[in-house]
Amino acid sequence: MALFAVFQTTYLLALLSLRTYESEVLSEPLPLTPESLKVSVNSTCQCLHLQWTVHSLAYHQELKMVFQIQISRFKTSNVIWVENYSTTVKQNQVLHWSWESELPLECAAHFIRMRSVVDDSRIPESGFWSNWSSWEEADAQNLLGHDPLFVFPKDKLVEEGSNVTICYVSRIHQDNISCYLEGVQIHGEQLDRSVTAFELKNVSFIRKKGTNVFCKMEQGGVLGGIVLFVSKVLQEPKDFSCETQDLKTLTCTWDPGSDTGLTKQPSQSYTLFESFSGKRTLCKHRNWCNWQVAQDSQETYNFTLLAENYLRKRSVSILFNLTQRVHPMTPYNLFPKNVGATNATMTWKVHSIGNNSTLLCQLELLTEEKVIQQHNVSIKVNGEYLLSELEPDTEYVARVRCAYTKHFWKWSEFISQKFNTAEAAPSEAPDVWRNMKMVSGHPTVSLFWKPLSKVHANGKILFYNVTVENLDKPSRLEVLSIPAPARSTELTLDQCSYQIHVTAHNSVGPSPASVIVVSGDPGNEEVEKGRVNGTEDGFSVSWKPQSGDATGYVVEWCDGPQDLPCVLQWKNLGPNTTSTVISSGAFRPGVRYNFRIYGISTKRMAHLLEKKAGYLEELAPSDNPQVVMSNLTSHSFTLSWKDYSTESQPGFIQGYHVYLKPKAGEQCHQAFEKTVLPEDSVCCKYTIDNPEQKTFVVENLQPESVYEFFVTPYTSVGEGPLDAFTKVTTPDEYSHILIRIILPMVFCVLIVMIICYLKSQWLKEKCYPDIPDPYKSSVLSLIKSKENPHLTIMNVNDCVPDAIEVINKPEGSKIQFLGTRKSLTETEFTKPAYLYLLPTEKNYSGPGPCICFENFTYNQAASDFASCGHFPVTPQAPPPQLGPLTSPENLLKALEQNYMNSLGEIPAGEANLNYVSQLASPTSGDKDSLPTNPPEPALCSEYKMQMAIPLGLASAPPRENSSLSSTTLLGQGEHCS
Amino acid sequence: MKVLAAGVVPLLLVLHWKHGAGSPLPITPVNATCATRHPCHSNLMNQIKNQLAQLNSSAKALFILYYTAQGEPFPNNLDKLCSPNVTDFPPFHANGTEKARLVELYRIIAYLGASLGNITRDQKVLNPSAHSLHSKLNATADVMRGLLSNVLCRLCSKYHVAHVDVAYGPDTSGKDVFQKKKLGCQLLGKYKQVIAVVAQAF
Repeated sequence: MALFAVFQTTYLLALLSLRTYESEVLSEPLPLTPESLKVSVNSTCQCLHLQWTVHSLAYHQELKMVFQIQISRFKTSNVIWVENYSTTVKQNQVLHWSWESELPLECAAHFIRMRSVVDDSRIPESGFWSNWSSWEEADAQNLLGHDPLFVFPKDKLVEEGSNVTICYVSRIHQDNISCYLEGVQIHGEQLDRSVTAFELKNVSFIRKKGTNVFCKMEQGGVLGGIVLFVSKVLQEPKDFSCETQDLKTLTCTWDPGSDTGLTKQPSQSYTLFESFSGKRTLCKHRNWCNWQVAQDSQETYNFTLLAENYLRKRSVSILFNLTQRVHPMTPYNLFPKNVGATNATMTWKVHSIGNNSTLLCQLELLTEEKVIQQHNVSIKVNGEYLLSELEPDTEYVARVRCAYTKHFWKWSEFISQKFNTAEAAPSEAPDVWRNMKMVSGHPTVSLFWKPLSKVHANGKILFYNVTVENLDKPSRLEVLSIPAPARSTELTLDQCSYQIHVTAHNSVGPSPASVIVVSGDPGNEEVEKGRVNGTEDGFSVSWKPQSGDATGYVVEWCDGPQDLPCVLQWKNLGPNTTSTVISSGAFRPGVRYNFRIYGISTKRMAHLLEKKAGYLEELAPSDNPQVVMSNLTSHSFTLSWKDYSTESQPGFIQGYHVYLKPKAGEQCHQAFEKTVLPEDSVCCKYTIDNPEQKTFVVENLQPESVYEFFVTPYTSVGEGPLDAFTKVTTPDEYSHILIRIILPMVFCVLIVMIICYLKSQWLKEKCYPDIPDPYKSSVLSLIKSKENPHLTIMNVNDCVPDAIEVINKPEGSKIQFLGTRKSLTETEFTKPAYLYLLPTEKNYSGPGPCICFENFTYNQAASDFASCGHFPVTPQAPPPQLGPLTSPENLLKALEQNYMNSLGEIPAGEANLNYVSQLASPTSGDKDSLPTNPPEPALCSEYKMQMAIPLGLASAPPRENSSLSSTTLLGQGEHCS
Repeated sequence: MKVLAAGVVPLLLVLHWKHGAGSPLPITPVNATCATRHPCHSNLMNQIKNQLAQLNSSAKALFILYYTAQGEPFPNNLDKLCSPNVTDFPPFHANGTEKARLVELYRIIAYLGASLGNITRDQKVLNPSAHSLHSKLNATADVMRGLLSNVLCRLCSKYHVAHVDVAYGPDTSGKDVFQKKKLGCQLLGKYKQVIAVVAQAF
């Protein structure tokens, strides 16, 4: 019984416990609390890593649960994050969850707790949260060292445009800590007593090696910092495509975009993944990658290109058929073959694609960078094509590209080859023209021709042949060969007519001949002259058709202005043409161009038809004529400018404007019109409308008035520049009469003055001689006639010269008579010798009063020397050799001849004979009246200076010994007479 | 160990490229014989003096080049970032015997050589475009290798010292970029200061 009771009790207890279990697990909500919660800090990603388990789960039981996680910062009550994490939980499973903190974890302690709830549909009443786990603390500050200042996060890598939070932890609690980014202070928020955070928003890329962010205490010399790395945002690869050149290798290319490489982060990598085959390859290059085509004839490919760096991944995919992505390789060995003047064969090769694949090749022919021919050729390996219709002697470029025929995807790159076609004979005759002129009386023809165009030359022109054929008499053909690039030649002809053939030759042969006929007549016939109007397109030249048959016309002109050498130009025109437009880039406004129109006869001879002149654009005259004023009267004057050339002006001169400024208040004459000049002055203008009238008479002027005139030509555009006016003053009305009287009078006076001047010496002698001649004095005649008819005048012979002092010159100087320069004697004197001029001893009256003259004119030294008191007159016998002078007549004759004009011819010092003093000698022809025995001198007077003495004032000359003779002394001696 | 791999080991390989290269310097008894592979230069001390003078003359330029390449705040905060506060730097006594000075010089150059190796490695990553700095660092390291060889030769030939215990600076490979820059700056500042004293002592 007891055993039964025990068994029954045990059974009931077991049943009760089973019942309890079922109620807990299946029917009643069970609180499954997270257990073994562990928190770890990952500084690299600034993450909190949580792991926990739920031990209460039954074996093999899987429940879907929700874990609510709370994160607090600094203290448990400061919850900053709550998140529900749903997952399926197995028994004994270690669950993981991570949370990335914006604030660097080193800057703050974090507290984490969680609770759970079953969120499984199999348990309908399972909405009860478990209890919270206990708080777990994650404090990275404990890992820091002992530095006073730390800045976090270290080596942070972020993308451009993102937000970053930086913080510092200060062990020394100071407020004066400032932080800087790129030299600019940043401001943050103090989170704790020792922690301050800075939020940098939308950071931008600065440099690959990062940016220093630092904080420093103002006191203490503490500085901490980090390096922030800002990466460019990884971009999705663009233009991703794959193609093959040989169906063996696929080449995929893309545009990688920006390089995101930094010191902290390598450049983004690229991985190519093919989904059908499941293969992948890491690309070695930034923008292309090769993929080996499988041998299992896979045709469709689905590629995914994955770009990734530390922060981001980007991918792009393409799906294609291999045969539709064939891009053939560039053809090779492109060569010309059998190149002729007009055709050539091109050959080339291509790289084969697969087996028996056909390529479509495009052959293009270019000249001067323009495609002129295009041909499509289908080939397998070797290509060949005959190019025709080529131009001789032309450089061509042939190029070939190919594409896969089965599915066109892309042309290959071009291969190019240059070649030149061969030369051919010129296809057209040169354009020839001539110019006839007379040179030294012989007709001379200048032949000009234009070089053949490249199209017609067909090669390099080597020379031109000029064949001259006399049409009037049979003669041998004359052939001239003129080497290129000459464009003209000159032929001297006679009066006959000649036919001239000109051909151009290249290495292959001659061109057709150009024929022209010339005659000996230069053809300066007078023809109609006209004007031609210039337009923007050129000169529109027209002419009257030539009467009779004309095979054509030629218009000839010079490209340059008239004053420059003529560059002859011509234009050939058809027989039915009577007008043309001559255009040239050389035409300039304001330049006159002359055109000549020739008609070409059936005999190939040219006849001048018309002459035209014109301006591309007429301009106003650039300068004014040089005006000459003439015929000035009191009422008119004439203006003329005959040297002004109307031909060389920048427009057709239509006439002239004569401007005249009248005197104030005067009205313009009837023929003039009143006009206002640019400087607001009023003047009168007269218009001459005849360009050839180059004189103008200005009339109706007022006498003694000032007028200003100015002449300027005018063209259809305007008149010449406004130059300065020329002033002219009209004379008095009677001034011309006065001029007729005064001028002859002035002339006569001048004549008289000239005569007086020329005869002044004569007049002097006549009117006021220096030493009056009594014989010539009119007083004498008066005295004679009125008082004493027997009155005579003392003759010069009355005064006998007494002595000549000869100075002995040791050098043996020659003694000369002044004036005659005749040698007196060769005798040398050792002492001063006195030359007695008296003919006899008895006539000598001994020492006594004498007349002494001193003439400063001749020798000042000598005159100083001269002193009457020291001038003894010693009677001595004259030396015999002085015989010729002993005769007083001879001596007087010599003296008379040389008086007045001899001394000046011999400079003092040169002559040995010094003329110390001089007496006025009677030079009249009264020699016969000279007394043979002159009276002895009775007076001695001292004569210092010669001067003219009026006759009335002159003392009466001494009768006996007045100075009527002169003596010349040689040397520097003294003189006395 | 990283410092050995990055800076010290290459240095030692160059310096001791002979039998047993790659192994740590053996600690031989003091009275052990010392043999050099090549005969020492006849004017060895002059060589050492010249090398020291060369290092001394270029130390300042290297220092300036370094802190300029690091960017702000380094050039304007040398006292805070580049002060020569290197605690474990080998000592040098200028008034010691020649042997003692040579031994201390050997330790200093070995220390500096290893640190320069670290700095050069770091700067090639952190400042890849600072070619002049790289060049200057390499040139300095080259001279140091020559100097170390000469000092060892002198110690061996004259004082029969076969080995010297050396110490190396802190490994920078695990440090953050800013700290690498700072440590390098401090080391070069210390180098500039020490090399002047050492050059003066010889």
